[in-house]
Amino acid sequence: MSNSSDNKLVDELESLKISFTKTADKIIKDINRQDKIMARSDKRQRQEYDELQKKLIEVQSLQEAQKELMDSFIKLIASAIDAKSKYTGGHCSRVPELSLMIAQAASDSTDEAFKEFEIKDDVQLRELSIAAWLHDCGKVTTPEYVVDKATKLETIYNRIHEIRTRFEVLYRDLKIEALEKMLAGEDETKVASWLDSEYKKLQDDFDFLANANIGGEFMNDADQKRVEDIANRTWERYFDSSKGLARHERERLTDDNSSFPVSEKLLSNKAQHIIPREDFDFEEYEKFGFKTPVPKDLYNLGEVYNLQISRGTLTQEERFKIQEHVIMSIKMLEELPFPDQLKNVPLFAGAHHETLIGTGYPRELKKEDMPLPARIMALADVFEALTAADRPYKEAKTLSASIKILSFMVKDKHLDEDIFKLFLSSGIYKEYAKLNLSPNQIDDVDISVYL
Amino acid sequence: MENLIIEETKYTPLIKMDTNGTIELVGKSYPENTFEFYVPMMEWVKEYFETSAADVTTVNMEITYFNSSSSKLFFDFFDLLEENNDKKIVINWIYDEENESALEAGEDFMEDFEDLTINLVEK
Repeated sequence: MSNSSDNKLVDELESLKISFTKTADKIIKDINRQDKIMARSDKRQRQEYDELQKKLIEVQSLQEAQKELMDSFIKLIASAIDAKSKYTGGHCSRVPELSLMIAQAASDSTDEAFKEFEIKDDVQLRELSIAAWLHDCGKVTTPEYVVDKATKLETIYNRIHEIRTRFEVLYRDLKIEALEKMLAGEDETKVASWLDSEYKKLQDDFDFLANANIGGEFMNDADQKRVEDIANRTWERYFDSSKGLARHERERLTDDNSSFPVSEKLLSNKAQHIIPREDFDFEEYEKFGFKTPVPKDLYNLGEVYNLQISRGTLTQEERFKIQEHVIMSIKMLEELPFPDQLKNVPLFAGAHHETLIGTGYPRELKKEDMPLPARIMALADVFEALTAADRPYKEAKTLSASIKILSFMVKDKHLDEDIFKLFLSSGIYKEYAKLNLSPNQIDDVDISVYL
Repeated sequence: MENLIIEETKYTPLIKMDTNGTIELVGKSYPENTFEFYVPMMEWVKEYFETSAADVTTVNMEITYFNSSSSKLFFDFFDLLEENNDKKIVINWIYDEENESALEAGEDFMEDFEDLTINLVEK
């Protein structure tokens, strides 16, 4: 009994021992494996980390390249606009320069007015810079004849009308020559004196119109009436005015060409002068928050209508076409998928023609609706335009005269007073002038009268 | 018994277990819960060897990236294969020439499982 139970115990112990040894072997094997697994895993992790780092550097350099490409693209658009019109010169590149100078000063300022404005990082600076570079991007869509319209009668012109007029003149010259031959022997003094006074009147009228065409002076009611009086003089037309016209012009033509001569006014407003506004999306216009009234017609080329423009050379239709550049800028920029940190670009760029009191365009914003960068750009835009020396149609103004005009605009609440004062007190006006104005423009400015 | 196919995901490999004796693991192995994920595979292999093992079983493993618990799981998997080494089993450990850690893992398996036929196959 005891012997057999002893044996059994020995067997059990033996089997336990084997099982224990097996388990111990397994545990040791497992520990060894575990060590190996950990060591390998650490190594792999390090490799993966190295690879990630390498990829990150690659991505960063690609990002940098993409940023540079985008910046060049932006500058390309700006220089395309500047190149489009000799009248705007280097405007698109100088406005960002000046805007950033003022924005930096506003950020550094401890003044109460700028306490909420701070340029925290390069990204924010970039947002401002892009907005300033693209503030006029909509001008790519503005017709040159409107941007550059230097006289009231200027337009894209089919010169067939001028050529036809010369034929009309030749026609009369032939007739006169014949009459002169027939009438030889009349009281010459009388005829000469009459002709003289008629010529003088004709010259006077032409001089008046020619001067009015330049649009340099305000045209009062009496002058406008005189345009009408001159216009009412008539002449006989023997030639067909429907010949040599393009389809659109022919379609608008209302002249009577059934029999000749046709009695024509010297100057006229004809239905054919009106180019109707087509396909204008008023719903979209409203959706964007644009408030500037839209003239009924796209253009009105009426001769009397244009010569009667009271100020400048632009009709209300053309003025709207010019103002539409901001509308286009906003629409174009809002189409772009700006990342979050650049989302204000359309807002900053699209408000540089707003005033502080809702009289600007296109959204008729008030000061509280205009972010500071937009108000800075508004001032930079005006100051650049005043001081620019590369506009062929006007003399560049002196520094003091330009600042005086800014002060009037500040008084009228068209420009921001705090920004104007910062512009002066920070000395930016001088710094910018040194960089961009010709020496004869830079005169002494007593800024104390404005501060 | 039926074949087992588990489709590849972002974190887990394609698993194809065919009763004709072909076993395939292709892809990455970063399951959220590794041991749970491989339960169906391990169960299938156990049943396969118990009931319907083919004359030759070929295991093709092409695991490019894997976490440490997958590593551990593969050792367990190889243990299971070793236990059934009385049948003919050929393991092809397939790796990309640029993937050094995959090669090293294969070498580890060869070292640990001397009785198994493990071929290192460069892609």
